Amino acid sequence: MSHNQPKPLSSLHPGDEALVFQVLAQGRIRQRLLEMGFIRGAHLKVEKLAPLGDPMELVIKGYHLSLRREESQCILVSEED
Amino acid sequence: MATTLALAGNPNCGKTTIFNALTGSHQHVGNWPGVTVERRSGFFESPDGPVEVVDLPGTYSLSAQSEDERIAARFVADPAVDVIINVLDASNLERNLYLTTQLLELRRPMVFVLNMMDDADTNGLKLDLHTLERLLGGPVIPTVGNRAEGIQALREAILRVAGQRAGAGGTMNYGHDLEGELLNIVREIERDEVLAQACPPRRLALELLEGSPAAAGRVQRSHARRAVTAQVQASLAFLESHLGADGATLVAERRYGFAHGLAGEVLARSGRAKAGFTARLDAVLTNRWLGIPIFTAIMIAVYSLTFVVGKVPQDWIAGGFRLLHGWAGAHLPAGELTSLLVDGIIPGVGAVVVFVPVIMLLMGCVAFLEDTGYMSRAAFIMDRLMHLMGLHGKSFIPLIMGTGCNVPAVQATRTIEAREDRFITILVAPLMSCSARLQIYIVIAGTFFRPVQAALAILAMHLLGFALAMIVGKLLRLSLFRGAGAPFVMELPPYRLPVLKSTLTHMWEKGAVFLTRAGTTILAGATLIWFLSHYPGISNRSWTEELHRNEAAVRLLNLPAAEEASRLDNLNLDHQSRVVNTSLAASIGKALQPALAPILDPGRDRPEAWKDSIALTAGFVAKEIVVSTMAVIHHTQAGDPDHPEHGGLQEALRVHSGFTPLTALAFMVFILIYTPCLGTVGMILKETRSLLWTGFSMAYGLGLAWLTAWFTVLGGQALGFS
Repeated sequence: MSHNQPKPLSSLHPGDEALVFQVLAQGRIRQRLLEMGFIRGAHLKVEKLAPLGDPMELVIKGYHLSLRREESQCILVSEED
Repeated sequence: MATTLALAGNPNCGKTTIFNALTGSHQHVGNWPGVTVERRSGFFESPDGPVEVVDLPGTYSLSAQSEDERIAARFVADPAVDVIINVLDASNLERNLYLTTQLLELRRPMVFVLNMMDDADTNGLKLDLHTLERLLGGPVIPTVGNRAEGIQALREAILRVAGQRAGAGGTMNYGHDLEGELLNIVREIERDEVLAQACPPRRLALELLEGSPAAAGRVQRSHARRAVTAQVQASLAFLESHLGADGATLVAERRYGFAHGLAGEVLARSGRAKAGFTARLDAVLTNRWLGIPIFTAIMIAVYSLTFVVGKVPQDWIAGGFRLLHGWAGAHLPAGELTSLLVDGIIPGVGAVVVFVPVIMLLMGCVAFLEDTGYMSRAAFIMDRLMHLMGLHGKSFIPLIMGTGCNVPAVQATRTIEAREDRFITILVAPLMSCSARLQIYIVIAGTFFRPVQAALAILAMHLLGFALAMIVGKLLRLSLFRGAGAPFVMELPPYRLPVLKSTLTHMWEKGAVFLTRAGTTILAGATLIWFLSHYPGISNRSWTEELHRNEAAVRLLNLPAAEEASRLDNLNLDHQSRVVNTSLAASIGKALQPALAPILDPGRDRPEAWKDSIALTAGFVAKEIVVSTMAVIHHTQAGDPDHPEHGGLQEALRVHSGFTPLTALAFMVFILIYTPCLGTVGMILKETRSLLWTGFSMAYGLGLAWLTAWFTVLGGQALGFS
């Protein structure tokens, strides 16, 4: 897989870091994700997965956030240069 | 004229502690008009007169996508608001400033509160307050919310700013291309004076670029709708081609750009940040292997505190009302009014007051979990399971607490932010089998099953309740609450030590609000049921006289005291049975009998089956009184309710009721599911503020109970039971 190919956030593993490339979700979810800091180029780090495997905990804009797989699938990220 | 302040800020920024510090005990809790969101207001005295403080729901934005945001957005735009106080978490400045960019667009006098300065210090952050004041265009007051530091300075700043009235300084620039398009849209908006006056045109233009449905709706109702809509379309097309993104993305990017730049200018890291307390705690509390066991232990602790410790004051209250009941019964002249008081009002009030200890304890625990920050971790851990049921991670705690008592469980749904998630949880919570229903299972299962079977049947009831909650939750999500589900984008805030005083205040308020709001519903219902189960027999003079004659005759016999008491009790019981079994409730029971026959009397061979419906009617008041009602209608002593031997009743049920093990099981299933008790109904009405949803909850419970009990009978018959 090429170095900078955007991929869904849900495919990252705990400890991975990436930059937000694009939010694919639409409507209410899209607006909420943008407000919470998922804008182009924002840096994020996947902290861990919940004990049952979903949701995911990540750090963005200096705070901790949890996202379900449903939502994290709709966010494309790219690896840092 | 009094000054009005709106307190705005993100969730978890410590807004409520600032509110408490500002207003002290001068607080009022109500609801925002038409919705179930709590409205807190209070006031403090100043040299210029009283100052009213309104605490808005904590929001990340004013984009009006959720109920909370709509309320906040509407209120800050209200001309009655003189000053907006924006509370910012100093240790998480950038994200907090996003809301600030929206508030600045309102052009109102503003004061900024930098809360959690102690957290920022421990994180090794230094803030340049002067630069921040200059860039935001309003006073910036550093505070430590839970120590009331800086509150006096905040009051002074508020009064200084309140005099200004005119629009405050700070604005943010969205960059050349966006500003140009904003100007074009504003020009079209200003063609309609009504539209331009309802909302600052620049703010409306931004909302239109963001694609807000509420803003689009507002434009649709104006004269200028064609011109404005056309301009917005053109602007979006222009921006898309020049900047390569849609309006919502561009606006959010610029706002975060402003927040990032501002935070960068005023924040300086001095020394190294200490390894985070929160990170170390989370390494254990949400750990892959330890997370669930620790969560389970915390749930057991909360459950025990609420229902085991809470049972002590509950027993005192119940005992007190029993004493009062006995005393009033013995000392007041017998008659209808006495019966209303003794059998209607006293037990009715008792049934309300008895919930107060568990409500206060559970709400105290919930407030503690919320204030420490553990509540969102609990939701994080349980969300996968709850999501399968169409629910939210935060639905788990109300459901588990429902197995103790549904009444505080329904109230505990307050922690769930999104209305859809909260309503579904409220509607399925009564399916959790509570401790009052357990008493009924013990009597019924103990009568008609062998010991091991009885234990299995009781366990099966609890599992059935949980399974039905899962199915109903999923069905509601797919039908009545379909579509715009709230996204699960949940902050995991830093752990914090809660302020004891605010937890105690919270507990006290919950208890008081329950008494005043739900209490009246419960009392009215209890009085109605008393009426149905006592008339017309209670007004039958000759029956009452017969009772008195017989009592007098027994007293004349000069029997030993114990025997006399027992004979008198028997006479009273005869009388009560006669009244209940000829009452309106009994007539209704007989009339309803055909409807219940397929489940409780499938062989049409139970002459006493109509008595079940009286017991079920009584169970609507409180499931606790089903057993004692059955004792009265089956004409026997229930025995001591604290020691569930219930010998007399079990004997009577075995001999007279005509239940078979299968119909007994169907009866238990029906008891599990049918209409929630009055206490729960009162609470549902209070929490949904909707007669429609309350009625729905009662009706679907009845329908589902009938169907499930019927399937139980059919299944049992197919397996060869009768």
